[in-house]
Amino acid sequence: MTMEKILPKKSFAPWVKKLAGFEVYAPVEKDGVWIYEAVEDLKEISPSYPNTVQAPKKIIFPQTETLFEFDTDEEGQPTLTETLPGKKDRVIFGVRPCDARAATLTDIVFGGTINDPYYQARREKTVLVGLTCNHPPSPNCFCPSVGGSPHSREGLDILMTDLGDRYVVDAVTEKGEKLLSKAKNLFTKPTDRDRRELATAFTDSEQRIERSLRDANQLPGKLKKMFESPFWDEKALGCIRCGICTYLCPACHCFDLTDELTSASPPKGRRIRTWDTCQFPDFTMHSSGHNPRPDRASRLRQRLNHKFQYFVEHHGEFQCTGCGRCISRCPVSIDIIDILEEVHDHES
Amino acid sequence: MSPNAYLPKLAKIVSIKEEVGGVRPIKTFRMRFVGDNGFSHQCGQCAMLSVFGTGESMISISSSPLQKDYLQFSILKTGRVTTELHELKEGDVIGIRGPYGNTFPVEEWKGKNLIIIGGGIGIAPVWSVLHTALGNREDYGELSLFYGSRTSADLVYSEELEELKGKMNLHLSVDSEEEGWDGFVGFVPANVLDKKPSPENTIAVTCGPPIMIKFVIANLKQLGFEDEQIYTTVENKMKCGIGKCGRCNIGKHYVCIHGPVYSWAELKKLPQEY
Repeated sequence: MTMEKILPKKSFAPWVKKLAGFEVYAPVEKDGVWIYEAVEDLKEISPSYPNTVQAPKKIIFPQTETLFEFDTDEEGQPTLTETLPGKKDRVIFGVRPCDARAATLTDIVFGGTINDPYYQARREKTVLVGLTCNHPPSPNCFCPSVGGSPHSREGLDILMTDLGDRYVVDAVTEKGEKLLSKAKNLFTKPTDRDRRELATAFTDSEQRIERSLRDANQLPGKLKKMFESPFWDEKALGCIRCGICTYLCPACHCFDLTDELTSASPPKGRRIRTWDTCQFPDFTMHSSGHNPRPDRASRLRQRLNHKFQYFVEHHGEFQCTGCGRCISRCPVSIDIIDILEEVHDHES
Repeated sequence: MSPNAYLPKLAKIVSIKEEVGGVRPIKTFRMRFVGDNGFSHQCGQCAMLSVFGTGESMISISSSPLQKDYLQFSILKTGRVTTELHELKEGDVIGIRGPYGNTFPVEEWKGKNLIIIGGGIGIAPVWSVLHTALGNREDYGELSLFYGSRTSADLVYSEELEELKGKMNLHLSVDSEEEGWDGFVGFVPANVLDKKPSPENTIAVTCGPPIMIKFVIANLKQLGFEDEQIYTTVENKMKCGIGKCGRCNIGKHYVCIHGPVYSWAELKKLPQEY
């Protein structure tokens, strides 16, 4: 059981000040958009920041990272130096519940029998402090349709809810508890009024979401039956293969591994991991030129099947948490809610 | 904490054999790890080879697990990494990580006849099956090899094939007539249909170009083989080898962990995404 506490807004900055040793990240406005960035002196969290362009995923799973460095001596003998990250403790404030749920999905991918030490090192050192979405941060939010909620605790260490002049602060995990214990005297016990207002905030937050996805649980079966359908050709016609749907997705995890040379002879350089996307034509292309997913239709189908069929079959979860970024940012208005709505009515 | 799966182990090239020349050259590399490595593979598995500074490529291990002295890879020069591999000399050091993927169920096949059907460089992944059966000869029934390529000069392992004559049923083929060729002339699937191997207590294992595999399977079916008696191995573009980079999937299967080995009964249920 979690135990809520009350933090007056004027006490927020003093609490953050107590977190010496942590690198603090928060949503900040830059050049007209909101992004997560490391901040020096966090005084407040904007109560109504819209959805950040990128999810905080990039802090735990950066777009580019070095996995190891290689150096070759005169005799041609290489030496490899592992470059594991994660020495710094980090706290991310203002995480939206959908993005935190997405972290539980990337946890599945990068965990398992063969774990990913780079992801895990950062994940273990990062505390996720969420903020209830009193108002949906995007007109394309649909988290409840895929099992989430604007006040979901899943994946978070702490959930904060803005009640105007104060926050309700709910430590979900031990990591979260520890963060509160750094400034015990700033937090007070909630009153009945606090609890009533919290309950109202939660209900209101759910009711304000405008978009929804019908019967998501039926999608895996429906999608499975329409693999060969010309439906995909039609839906993918507008796609310009930019890949932004996947680059901005908080749950997408596909990557490329490449070598980068700092000196050619003898070879010295690093192996790097970079985000990649199933929407690029050469993502699956064999060296022979053969491509199992040669067209936009097969790649759009892959994106939706991965999220609403394959991941469900393997892990029992949708690989989508309803943040709506892929819809809002698609330059040609490809809308997964609309497509999946038609999937329901498609005659296989 | 398990060891870092992305970190290759260093291995030295102990020998390089030029198998095929011309514009699509194939070389066979034998590698030995530098120091202790804990690497142990089974038939049908692959390994990720690193040329530091160029990158990685997933290659089938063509030596049998019974061979403890070296790991063997037969590599067609086709992309960036394989081109660099072809430039290397004996004594050069590369990186290897793996082994990856599932395996041919050679234990289950004990007591059965084995028919191995390869085309071109597709002989490499099934070569480990052949050598495992030869190494444990008494465990298996009749052994047959169908192997073909465009011309006789494109046959990989040509010297070894000479030595295998008389030790097993050897059915070699070339795609079109050539002087001095006394084997079958025509495509591999046609050779299989011509020799009519019996499906009785038999497993057929095939690998080669997708179009060859397709017709081999059709012809085996015509000869009375059941889907469960036919095995193949699939390739798709891979980067991580551990089911995380997201590109080698056929439907919900990641070839790097759920494959590359499939019975036709399993593979035919998956979408045509390979």
